[in-house]
Amino acid sequence: MAEMTRRDVLKMAAAGAAAALPGVVPSLAHSQGTQKRELVVAQGGDVAQFDPHMSTSSNDIRVSFNLFDNLTSRRPDGKLAPGLATEWKLQGQTTWVFKVRQGVKWHNGDPFSSADAKFSIERTYDPNAKMRVSTVFTTVERIEAPDAATLVIHTKKPDPLLPARLGFYGGQIVPKKYLDAVGPDTFGQKPIGTGPVRFVSWTKDDRVVLEANPDYWGGRVDFDRLIVRALPEMAPRVAALLKGEVDLITQVPPDQGERIKAHASTVVSGALYGGLYVLAVNSGRPPLDNPLVKQALSLAIDREVIVKELWRGRGVVPSGPIAKGDNHFDPSLPALAYDPKEARERLRKAGYKNEEIVIETTAGYMAGDKPMAEAVQAMWRDAGVNAKVEVLEYSVRAQKNRDKSFKGVWWSDPTSTLRDPDGMMWRLLGPGAPQDYWRHPEFDELGNAARFSVDEKFRADAYRKMTKISLEHFPWIPVIQPYEDYGLQKRVEWTPDPLQQLEIRRFNFKFRRA
Amino acid sequence: MRGLLPFLASRLLRALVALWLVSTVVFVVMRLSGDPVPLLLPPDAPRSEIFRVRAELGLDRPVLVQYAIFLGNVLRGDFGRSIHFRQSAFRVVAGYLPATIELGLSAFVLAAVVALPIGVLSAVRRNSAVDQATMGLALVGQSAPTFFIGILLILVVSLNLGLLPTSGRGDWRNLVLPALTLGAFAMASIARLTRSAVLEVLSADYIRTARAKGVSEALVVVKHTLKNAAVPIVTITGLQFGTLLGGAVVTETVFAWPGIGRLAIQSIYNRDYPVVQCTVFLSAVLFIVINFCIDLIYGLLDPRVRAS
Repeated sequence: MAEMTRRDVLKMAAAGAAAALPGVVPSLAHSQGTQKRELVVAQGGDVAQFDPHMSTSSNDIRVSFNLFDNLTSRRPDGKLAPGLATEWKLQGQTTWVFKVRQGVKWHNGDPFSSADAKFSIERTYDPNAKMRVSTVFTTVERIEAPDAATLVIHTKKPDPLLPARLGFYGGQIVPKKYLDAVGPDTFGQKPIGTGPVRFVSWTKDDRVVLEANPDYWGGRVDFDRLIVRALPEMAPRVAALLKGEVDLITQVPPDQGERIKAHASTVVSGALYGGLYVLAVNSGRPPLDNPLVKQALSLAIDREVIVKELWRGRGVVPSGPIAKGDNHFDPSLPALAYDPKEARERLRKAGYKNEEIVIETTAGYMAGDKPMAEAVQAMWRDAGVNAKVEVLEYSVRAQKNRDKSFKGVWWSDPTSTLRDPDGMMWRLLGPGAPQDYWRHPEFDELGNAARFSVDEKFRADAYRKMTKISLEHFPWIPVIQPYEDYGLQKRVEWTPDPLQQLEIRRFNFKFRRA
Repeated sequence: MRGLLPFLASRLLRALVALWLVSTVVFVVMRLSGDPVPLLLPPDAPRSEIFRVRAELGLDRPVLVQYAIFLGNVLRGDFGRSIHFRQSAFRVVAGYLPATIELGLSAFVLAAVVALPIGVLSAVRRNSAVDQATMGLALVGQSAPTFFIGILLILVVSLNLGLLPTSGRGDWRNLVLPALTLGAFAMASIARLTRSAVLEVLSADYIRTARAKGVSEALVVVKHTLKNAAVPIVTITGLQFGTLLGGAVVTETVFAWPGIGRLAIQSIYNRDYPVVQCTVFLSAVLFIVINFCIDLIYGLLDPRVRAS
């Protein structure tokens, strides 16, 4: 064998390196589009199980909303569109009639009918079924399925938001025949739905493999397989995206967004969160029982700085307790003001005696929770408030949430599940609700009346008044409405959803094809 | 052979007591740490719903009754049903074991194969450039946090050089970086301890005698030194083996490796008592079995141990 020169060795090394760099090839192909038939998504945690009525966590609903269909479908633009129901109307005050889509099949070939829909909704609140979404359809009195194409839902009182409730968690329609045959445990492991993808396999804490449902009524999705991987750490999740191993990653924090944008083949795409990040207030505990103190706390927060510095501009300053994008959001309201001088003045008027105000925060449960708590603490101290940050573990927070034992203020990220104040402000702040630490007779009266009214003008007026009251009493101190950012390959065309769903149906997802 | 049976019996008894203590401590600590139910239900669930689910999971009964049921079930090999996964806790943990064993074993083999020769070499060439360099590296391996090593490897090897996948479980290529990350600490510990154990033996009188007799240096090291230095090396290697197999939370998290370390942490967050209890119990069994094997190896290596 002839002796190799140093140049030969270098040539071989270069060829070897090029062969070992699979990332190079797809990145060259990006500009021309892709032939990819597999969509790989990475999220921060694994699916717990697939029964859609057993979970409300975002890692689970990203999958379950694609395995299953709802009667109504909440689109990323916030509008409600037909799902398994093609149309619906209110008859009288308390009877909703749904026309159910015909010719739809379950993933195992069984035909879908209105009886499945009736079974599904009844299952959510059936005490024997022991579901985790039993509070979603408390307004329902009874359900009838007079024929395969019709579903009639009678509510206890007028419920203007029933179609919206059917569009979110709890509303996924499950197969009666299959569930009766295999039981809930098998169903939770090997689910069957009517959705655009069907279940193939699940390796716990690694990946869920799904394949396109070729007969999907909404059109076959633009890929053959969907793989949902659990990549808990942010840095490796971003690395997997940059290397081209995955097409889409969730929960991108603002500081990582810059890296993704700087890369040739990846982009960041965000949706304004359908909800708010607020400091919820235990108004029962002095000095937080004094509205002047709470007004001062709100005035002392420089939200612009939080948005600009901590979120790198990926958020907006709220104007009140209703999220931008929701029904009855008032665009004419100004953003919440920052006025430390006025804050000091109101503290003085309130007779504030330097009592300690505790900010209870988790570290990483909500994006940016701890840094934001520290920033607010500093701002409050500047305004003369004796503020202190205490860090809680997530499960301790859940326990305190249950016991209603928060000491002062704490982070909450209320989701507007119905894109309406009833599904957010009233769901969480109403009497007996999880954040019921403050009562106001007029607020309660208005909230109750708005819940059971089908007159949108009346509801708009009620929520306007409730907003005014809440900006005087601050049961929540809204801080930011952030963007939820995703990292994408440029070959992916996809619009993120404000409610953390992963909508991959034909109308919302496609690969840029060569 | 006469001494073996009582030796085995006393070891077994100690192992059982250790297992009982471990399971009791886990049981108590998990109960002290909080209630799983608020984590299972949506935040707006009413109190009645919380009480209903508590009763469904048997958490409304007195703790002593729960403990008695728990112990009885463990004796029958039943760790209960996972609250989070809604299936047998043992089946859940068993599903994660192959990934853990695959990673732990690879990390261990990698660590031992690299560390033992390096340790011996450093000792034999004491204070040479090789010694300085390898022990410097070992110091880094022992002191750099696993998290740091893992992310560094992902960025350099996977992302910049494009050589190996960033994370996940698959073929051998997926295994290299996590095994290296996980094995780094064990590799460093074993190398350093091997070096000092060999050094200690090398300064013994019988080594001087062997050299004086004219035995070749290679034979001195292989025949006279290694066997005498083996007891501490076997100890540390065995302990590292147990640790590596017990699941590696940080490595598994960084590389999204579906092993029992991550399962245990997730289950602690979820207050999934049965899974935590089962994981800890199985890890304890593993550790005790390995310790037991080390004891047996001592006996083989060192006649004095057998005699005592």
